[in-house]
Amino acid sequence: MRAASLVVVIALALPLVLGQFWAYQLGLYALYASAAIGIGLCWGQSGFLPLGQALFFGLSAYLSGFAFIAFQQHSFIAVLTMPVIAFVSGLFAYGIGFVVLRRPGENTAYFSMITLALSLLAFQIATSWNSVTGGFDGLKGIPGLPGLSDLSDVYYVSAAVLLIVLGLASWLYHAPLGVLWRALAQNERRLALLGFDVRMLKAVAFAVSGFMAGVGGAVYAPQQGIVTPQLVGFGLSADLVIWAAIGGRASLIGPVIGTLLVGSLSAELRDSVPFWEVLMALFFIVIVLAFPQGIAGLIEPAWQRLEGRPRGPAPVLAPKGLTDRPAARLALSDVSVHLGEVTILDHLSLDFDRAGIFCVIGPNGAGKTSMFNVVSGELAASSGRVDLGGMEIGALAPHRISHLGLARKLQIPSVFPHLSIADNLAIALWSGRATKLQLLDPRLRRWTSPMLEELKSRYPFLASGGRKAAELSHGEQQILELAMALLTEPRVLLLDEPCAGLSPEETGAVVDIVRWAARRLRGSVIIVEHDMSLVKELAELVYVLHNGTLLARGSVAAVQASPAVRAVYVGGTK
Amino acid sequence: MDALIVTQAINVVYAVSTLAVLTLGLAVIFGLLGVLNIAHGEFVMIGAYCAYLTQSWNWPYLVALPLTLALCALLGAAVERIMIRPLYRRPFDTLVATWGLSLLLRKIAEAIFGPGFHSVTIPLPGTVQFLGIEYPIYRVVLIAVSFAVAAVLMIWYGRSRTGSRIRAMVSNPELAQAQGISVRRLAAATFIAGTCLAGLGGVMVAPLVPVQPFMGLDYVLRAFFVLVVGGLGSVPGLLSGAAAIGGVDSAISAASNATDGYFAVLVLAILFLWLKPRGLIARG
Repeated sequence: MRAASLVVVIALALPLVLGQFWAYQLGLYALYASAAIGIGLCWGQSGFLPLGQALFFGLSAYLSGFAFIAFQQHSFIAVLTMPVIAFVSGLFAYGIGFVVLRRPGENTAYFSMITLALSLLAFQIATSWNSVTGGFDGLKGIPGLPGLSDLSDVYYVSAAVLLIVLGLASWLYHAPLGVLWRALAQNERRLALLGFDVRMLKAVAFAVSGFMAGVGGAVYAPQQGIVTPQLVGFGLSADLVIWAAIGGRASLIGPVIGTLLVGSLSAELRDSVPFWEVLMALFFIVIVLAFPQGIAGLIEPAWQRLEGRPRGPAPVLAPKGLTDRPAARLALSDVSVHLGEVTILDHLSLDFDRAGIFCVIGPNGAGKTSMFNVVSGELAASSGRVDLGGMEIGALAPHRISHLGLARKLQIPSVFPHLSIADNLAIALWSGRATKLQLLDPRLRRWTSPMLEELKSRYPFLASGGRKAAELSHGEQQILELAMALLTEPRVLLLDEPCAGLSPEETGAVVDIVRWAARRLRGSVIIVEHDMSLVKELAELVYVLHNGTLLARGSVAAVQASPAVRAVYVGGTK
Repeated sequence: MDALIVTQAINVVYAVSTLAVLTLGLAVIFGLLGVLNIAHGEFVMIGAYCAYLTQSWNWPYLVALPLTLALCALLGAAVERIMIRPLYRRPFDTLVATWGLSLLLRKIAEAIFGPGFHSVTIPLPGTVQFLGIEYPIYRVVLIAVSFAVAAVLMIWYGRSRTGSRIRAMVSNPELAQAQGISVRRLAAATFIAGTCLAGLGGVMVAPLVPVQPFMGLDYVLRAFFVLVVGGLGSVPGLLSGAAAIGGVDSAISAASNATDGYFAVLVLAILFLWLKPRGLIARG
């Protein structure tokens, strides 16, 4: 709160200190700054970079220009259209995000390139569509905002707009949605396996950034009185990225500092200092390679002292899972997976028809992890079907399967390394419990559940909430991930070598937790494991996979006695 | 045959082959190293400015070639060392870094040559007669050189020792390293080859386009779309991508206008991302 009031005081005092000219100049850059906050939201928070953000700024500026010209006599109506225009801009961004971000993971580069291309296209349209946009010379004669008397009034309008956008960003960054955006940037796969629609999260992030740029653009038109094609082009798009980076993309205030400082300085020095823009480009590269925190990294400690330590309010009990999940039965029937010439699963049928602990063993390359990938929705089966609780899940996305009561722990500890332990656990609690709207409510970060309390009393490190997950040891990260999988209260829990790389004590802890979970969840726990001593200790039933198909099934003793299984492990003929 | 149809057909061949040669550099770096070099277009720009300089110094046009290759190789080596090598396997960071590089090179060109256009005179003026039409000699030469470069590259990659080492590096860097291949040097060489190919393309097209600081943006986007549509890692893929992008662009631009052509290309690329993310011909 203190930090926020300081920002407001500075914003109010600036024109008095700097004089009218600079106030006017800052009034312009304050509008660009709200677009730059959007870049920070996408790049610094969510981990994907739009390279054509001016598209939304310029589009809204044109629309707002049209509105102010059309409602010349009733400028009051024109003012009312401004939020609508910003909203349209956000909707447009959502559409683009939804179309381009269809496939998870590797497409961040594609997204950047396509947004860049869109901005070039928009520039072409803006220059060539003379009758509507005024062509290269731009849309001229846009009436100003009503009721403004001098240049500092112009500044105060922009400053107010910027503060509103900052407030919106601050709220979102503190809300669960912001936590999920940061989680998205750190470990998209884990987030999807926990039951979150990553495509939707990205599209929403892009939509909000489009809205923020739209707010800036909508005010720009009446403020400047002219809208030129440069406003949608790659030049401004590039500047926004540079400003956000230099100011500090990951922080809330960084893009604002970058824009106000570098942007307005550039406007002054571009023509007088030779190679100024070359210097800025060099500066950008150095920042990206060596100082990702930007300027905000320098002032962050002071900022945090100003904010004060957040008081730990009392935790709130999370509601029970939204879906009343049916008793789980996981069954694979006749599932095959071919990748090119290679057959990974070969008419595999498995039935886990009751609650309990099951182990899946088999030599390397037997298809154990691929079987998990098919079940969790990450690998499409070429043929066959997979049922969970009587519902076919073969064609469902990982987050949908998670909602049906499946959780999975990956082999290598997979958590959100730069989020606090508390946030890591909270994300798991939100899965399947929080509605989309609730993700906007910061109070959800204090959720707890009986199971979480029990886990905390068993493993006290889980209660040291403020520490980052990356600071935990390998074994603690394994337990944290396991705890996250458990907190979704799954009916079927997949564990891929949960004890790999653990010390004997840590292995003992995991064995405990697995037994406890199986009792507590009354579902089935399916473990892929190499360590036979562990299998002996845990398994009620063992499935042996070989060459992508089921070789044997039975108790530990029965499987160990089976000649076929021995042949596979010892070698020799199949 | 109708002379107009023949001319149009050769125009399409010309458009596709120049597009292919302008994509080669990006294809080598993206396809083999997995690094999306957004500054690709700026290396094309460097080639074009070298051609312009050669001409304004009244040197023979071919001098532009060694000049460009030297410049692109030096720059490519420095860039690889400073901003690519530390970021291998962090594709997103290389994307941002090369985007910064493209900005830097653009601003340097603007600071030296100014923001305006420069034109380069065609080194081989005149036309040649064949199939009953007249066609500019330079364009014919350009088509021939494009195909020659693509063919040489394909044969060299498939047959030579270095080619097989590169294939080894691409499919399994650790194993290649263990076999005594210096992956680090090979990757650097591959990157430099990519930047040199881009520069070469720049020298080739310089007489036919306005030479200016922002020319690279368009080339990198088109080259990228060619790879999205054609698929990574093979010359046939690249050619089919160039045919699709170049064909659609020329056809729609001729029928309507350049903006619609560009829009169609963008839609085509997005469709491919949706429906066929590995492109027409994926790596064999």
